[in-house]
Amino acid sequence: MYNSYELNESVRRALDLYSQSMIKIAFAYLKNIADAEEVTQEVFLAYLQKRPVFENSEHEKAWLIRTTINKSKNMLKTGWFKSRNPVPEDLSYLPKEENEVLQAVLSLDKKYRIPIHLHYYEGYSIQEIAVIMQAKAATVGTWLARGRSLLKDKIGGLENEEICL
Amino acid sequence: MKKSVYKSAMSRLRTSDDFKEATYQKLMLELDKTTNNSTVQKEPIIMEKSKKKWTGWTVGIAAAAILTVGVISINQNQNNPASTPTNQEQTAEATTKPPIMGKVAVNIDGVISEVSPDGKSFKVGDLWVEVTDQTQLGSSEPTAAEPSEELLQKDFKVGNIVSGYTAQDVSTGKVTADVIYNNIAPQADNGGKPATTAKVQVNIDGVISEVSADGKSFKVNDVWVTVTPDTIMGIDGPTAAEPSEELLQKEFKVGNAVSGFTTEDLSTGKVNATRIYNNIAPQK
Repeated sequence: MYNSYELNESVRRALDLYSQSMIKIAFAYLKNIADAEEVTQEVFLAYLQKRPVFENSEHEKAWLIRTTINKSKNMLKTGWFKSRNPVPEDLSYLPKEENEVLQAVLSLDKKYRIPIHLHYYEGYSIQEIAVIMQAKAATVGTWLARGRSLLKDKIGGLENEEICL
Repeated sequence: MKKSVYKSAMSRLRTSDDFKEATYQKLMLELDKTTNNSTVQKEPIIMEKSKKKWTGWTVGIAAAAILTVGVISINQNQNNPASTPTNQEQTAEATTKPPIMGKVAVNIDGVISEVSPDGKSFKVGDLWVEVTDQTQLGSSEPTAAEPSEELLQKDFKVGNIVSGYTAQDVSTGKVTADVIYNNIAPQADNGGKPATTAKVQVNIDGVISEVSADGKSFKVNDVWVTVTPDTIMGIDGPTAAEPSEELLQKEFKVGNAVSGFTTEDLSTGKVNATRIYNNIAPQK
């Protein structure tokens, strides 16, 4: 259990360390920065209310990512989210190559783009992704392979990529 | 796709500049709300405790005032000038109703007639009162002064005047005091010389039984009280409200309930009122 001071410090530290990662994961799901930030705030609210106890910082990060994924899924399911027709996020400020790659990943089905994001951005292995996504490692491997294959069709490359197993 | 391209693109993604600070503020607000909610749940308990304390304090003051008048009257009737100093300007109007909920606080007021060998219990009237570690000595009200040695002596002795209250059942004949406000030693014999150097204020409190023809004097408890131009009407002070017509009627009539005080000697049977707080017509 935390006292309020420890809790405040713990939240502030988690905000500093993990908020950007969480926003990016939520963005990979929702394709919108405002929604991603909202989801991230909800995750921190859950963190504050549930006050989970972690074994180490990796455990803490994994919990935050898992919760971000869950809350992003929940947001995708909501009626208001489905019914709206949002303006696509303006990514024109990114260099051309980065913009193309990012748009290509975002155009993938979410079951492919989340493992790709966790692997290419967060650097997680297939086993780690499997734990976070509560899926079998083989399934994650398949998602990654298919995702890469789809990306290859869109932007080329990837054939020499290695995924650590 | 090279890993670095995607990672670099994601790293460059623009997010709100103040996201961390805004989130932190929002979280602290939520934390405050949660804390307040738990405080609200506790509030009725706090209120009840407060009510009990306040009721006890009010009843204690009223009883102390009545006791003081009684003691002074006895002293004056016996032509003993060694009067007990009183806490001034106590409003004897405080006839509080018992609380609807919660324990009833019963006053402990009187002169100690017997003390137990260990000195931790004393008898007032027919009631044995025990003072324990839990007994609060003195008033804990925020504006209360530190209890003086004179008004709250450490030892309970026969003849001491005590006041306080208990929330226990007095019908058992033995209770533990919740609070002891005063434990005052009786005035020592000083050779029959008057002990007071200041004026003693005596409460005027009761129902008017007779009014003089000019309407400026009235009789309360066998004492004729005259209202002079020097008599102060109502309650003053920075927080006092203007006296209402209802609580302070202009004319003194038979049956009206009056309260106030005088600094003159009641034993003469006729005094001038120093202050009149209330002059309330009887309920129709």
